[in-house]
Amino acid sequence: MPQPVYLDHAATTPVRREVVEAMEPFFGPRFGNPSSVHRWGREARAALDEARERVARCLGAKPDEICFTSGGTEADNLAVLGPLRSQQAKGRSAIVSTPIEHKAVLATVHHAVHHGATERMLDVTSDGVVDLSSLDRALDDAVAVCTVMWVNNEVGTIQPVPEIAERVKACGGVMHTDAVQAFGKLDFSLKNVPVDLLTISGHKIGAPKGAGAVFIRRGTKIDPMFHGGSQDRGRRPGTENVAAAVALARAAELAVEERETECARLKALREQLEEGLLSRIPDAVIHGRGAPRASHIVNISVPGTDSESLLMALDLAGVAASSGSACQSGSVTPSHVLSAMGVRPELSVAAVRMSLGALTTPEGIARVVELFPALIAKARRLSGVAG
Amino acid sequence: MRARVLVAMSGGVDSSVAAALLVEQGYDVIGATMKLFCYGDDVPDRPCCSLDSINDARRVCEGLGIPHYVLNLESAFGRDVIDNFVGEYAAGRTPIPCVRCNTFTKFRDLLHKADAVEAQWIATGHYARTQNGELLRGRDIAKDQSYFLWGIDRAVVRRMVLPVGEMSKPETRARARALGLEVVADKVESQDICFVPDGDHAKVIARRLGSDTPSLARGPVVLMDGTVVGEHDGFARFTIGQRRGVPGGFAEAMYVVAIRPVERAVVIGPRDALLGRGVVAHEMNWLVDPLQIGARVQVQVRHRARATPAEIVRVHDDEIELALDEPVAAITPGQSLVLYDGDRVLGGGFIERGGSAARTALPVIAA
Repeated sequence: MPQPVYLDHAATTPVRREVVEAMEPFFGPRFGNPSSVHRWGREARAALDEARERVARCLGAKPDEICFTSGGTEADNLAVLGPLRSQQAKGRSAIVSTPIEHKAVLATVHHAVHHGATERMLDVTSDGVVDLSSLDRALDDAVAVCTVMWVNNEVGTIQPVPEIAERVKACGGVMHTDAVQAFGKLDFSLKNVPVDLLTISGHKIGAPKGAGAVFIRRGTKIDPMFHGGSQDRGRRPGTENVAAAVALARAAELAVEERETECARLKALREQLEEGLLSRIPDAVIHGRGAPRASHIVNISVPGTDSESLLMALDLAGVAASSGSACQSGSVTPSHVLSAMGVRPELSVAAVRMSLGALTTPEGIARVVELFPALIAKARRLSGVAG
Repeated sequence: MRARVLVAMSGGVDSSVAAALLVEQGYDVIGATMKLFCYGDDVPDRPCCSLDSINDARRVCEGLGIPHYVLNLESAFGRDVIDNFVGEYAAGRTPIPCVRCNTFTKFRDLLHKADAVEAQWIATGHYARTQNGELLRGRDIAKDQSYFLWGIDRAVVRRMVLPVGEMSKPETRARARALGLEVVADKVESQDICFVPDGDHAKVIARRLGSDTPSLARGPVVLMDGTVVGEHDGFARFTIGQRRGVPGGFAEAMYVVAIRPVERAVVIGPRDALLGRGVVAHEMNWLVDPLQIGARVQVQVRHRARATPAEIVRVHDDEIELALDEPVAAITPGQSLVLYDGDRVLGGGFIERGGSAARTALPVIAA
């Protein structure tokens, strides 16, 4: 079989060598518990403090504004429910969000609604961007939290988070953004973007799974999700995962350092991929193409095909891609993001997401540009669709 | 290049052994589990209910070193199988969803997935066999599942591989243990229909059609002459030949002999009234060149029932009528009529009605 091609970096990325090296001492001699009073504890604590400072620098934040979590999902839960609970005490109980959020946010919002909050969903354009005009209707003094992702994980569209944040702050709400797909792709500093909370995840940027963080701006009141010790100022009790924090810090630094060159490289590869596919499959649809997009995600639908069959055929040919969202069973389910964009079902069931990253090469893209149209032609022959 | 086969894996012992045997035989094996239904719908963001069996199938594939995919066939299965299932009950019939699942879901929709991955072959864990493009009963007659397979497209038989069809159930279990498939070797076999939890089909009907659907509403229990002798709480809870829920106090044991959905009536009668000498079926599908009027066959009107000699007396489009050599009890609309010649499956259809048509009563057909 030819060299496999991994085009699923939005799902996860390989752990970088530099990150493995940075973590190694904490699986060895520096095993201590950061809360301990002795030398072993101090050594671990020093590493944790330093990791916090480094992540803060990468985001334009202050060290005490960084709270390490087990990943994006925990961070999103904390960032939505944490402020909601303290805001509810002040009589604010509405959550503003969008129908294109990651499940980590959507399910958290549903949970909150089940427990007495109300939800206000913003409109989304057919290009997969939040319609700012729907924000006016949604904002008033009942809004506790607004949560809008920065880069959509299925189609790659960039949401107007700074603009939304300005307006949410003006009406007294707390603003959260899930920046899991944005960090390392967009150039931003939290000095200039008025969000109160922001989620990042390590394994999307070359750190291992289980490493994440949430930025919590000073003065933002949150109720903790967990109850226990006083770690992380009581915001996130539990002995800190020092190795994961160090890994996240190293990966974040590399992501920021390399952002400009890596994004330019990925953008060129993405153009090679999109142009190659569109020239061979003229009626293919690339979702969100009319909107500003991050450089690493292509979501393509070809009429008369289905993503389930395509993903299997791609996998058996050594190419890893995905559909938008996979259910826990691993089965392909229709994408809530594409539905919210008004994509018709026959295109939605055909959606294949290819996401570029560290492992992506021009040779790999060239191979997919040959293989994918061939699989499409075969699928269409089988389904009797011309093309 | 090795021949590629897509194996439908339920997470049970039969399909797991089927996959393992095909790996042993040198096929390029791909495991696929169909996700067919989910009752978690009303609880958003919850994991899927069929997760355990999917996980078992995946563990087996991991052990065999073959790829495993989960295929979401929920909407097609809901339409082709579950909607039909509740519709049949609502029409006073007793459906047999496994037949439609085989016909439409496994050997049509799943076959399309096999096409998509260029798998020439499609395998399942059914106890049946194929030979020269014909379908045969499973070797183990106690376990034979050919009764559920009559509806598949004849051309598909040539693409089917049924590895456990030569084995008995104990042999399959022993093989599973020998192959190290501990996950599934001793799984208890469920007699339930997969999408009917606890065998409570009324719950499924209520969920689909609403709990106020006429088939689950009170109605009269009547004798064959129309005399009302009691009340029932929904004719969909009854099937032909059933005794449970039938009022007592008669000289002889009484059985359900008919269901009349228009009057919501369950008709009861003595055992004799259950006997039929003829049967009419529709949606007839042939797995051999179609037979003509006068042909002698054996027929089976229920899973695990003994086959009865019979003669074809009428064929019209996809409808067929047979005269039975001896009376058969409880011929039930909605169940399958399967025609055999010994072990060979000739074809089948859905039973429209039983009949008393004895062969002697029929006009002589000119030769």
